[in-house]
Amino acid sequence: MKDSCSSISKLLEKYFDQEGTDKERLLVEGHLQDCPDCRDALTSMEELRTLIKIPIEKAAQKEDFPWVWQKIEREIRSQEKRVWWQSLRSWLDVSPLFKKKVWIPAVATAVVLLFVTAQIIFKKTPSYSGASVVEYVESETNNVMVYDLEKSMVTVIWLFEEPEKGPST
Amino acid sequence: MRKTALLLIVFFIFSFLFLSTASAQVQVRLRAIHASDAASGVDPSLRDLHKELGSLFSFTSYRLMRDEILNLSLNQPAKISSREGRIILETTLVGLHKGVAEVRIKVTREGSEILNTQVRLFPGRTVLVGGPKHTRGGVVIYALHANF
Repeated sequence: MKDSCSSISKLLEKYFDQEGTDKERLLVEGHLQDCPDCRDALTSMEELRTLIKIPIEKAAQKEDFPWVWQKIEREIRSQEKRVWWQSLRSWLDVSPLFKKKVWIPAVATAVVLLFVTAQIIFKKTPSYSGASVVEYVESETNNVMVYDLEKSMVTVIWLFEEPEKGPST
Repeated sequence: MRKTALLLIVFFIFSFLFLSTASAQVQVRLRAIHASDAASGVDPSLRDLHKELGSLFSFTSYRLMRDEILNLSLNQPAKISSREGRIILETTLVGLHKGVAEVRIKVTREGSEILNTQVRLFPGRTVLVGGPKHTRGGVVIYALHANF
């Protein structure tokens, strides 16, 4: 082995793995033409790789890795079939509602509804049990009489335009 | 997009239903009766008021002139005029609570207000507003009854 072989030996491994640059490749190939030791070293590397590669390939051909394929199939199926709650959640996905053109009118409507509801809910409801039927009665031109018949639930408001034609009671 | 449209439609349907129930409206039956001594008898359609009319007034004849169902909305006046247009009865719903309708009643004769009153109409109660003179003698009696 020549002195330059020591510097080439590092490049020789890269050349063997086809990882070197074009310049390195040309340098190694130039050296190999003149150096039988390095050629032997490269041949040894190739033989070693062949020795390792052949049994591994044979073992891989015998093995079809069924469990690996089963696992992949299971994963594919689980992606395809959604459980009911996933479907429901997907259906109820309200993310489109968060778009500006949707939520601004929605919020405005909700505010109006809330305002109207509050008016109705919080409005004081007076109790009318026992309250009089006639709240007020007025006439600038005539006399008026109010009469209640509690038994038959009739209230009379009588305007005396003709005093002689008033109620008999 | 379809889901959003569906949700919006449902939302607006509920809003519409809510607003329609929230808007106050009451149905009032209004009957205009001509009471006089010119004839005798009670109109068959006034059978339900026959007893009350007989016990309250001394007229010999009660004839139904108009029988109207008014759908009163809040602060929306409804007018009923006599055939010759001299007497006008204006009813306005001014308040509606559970089982109670507050109605303002105005009676005008030839444009002049002769009566202004406000009554509470309860279920089953009848309010009679009477006294305005009829052109053919006798008086006009208005009977108001709210349907809840």
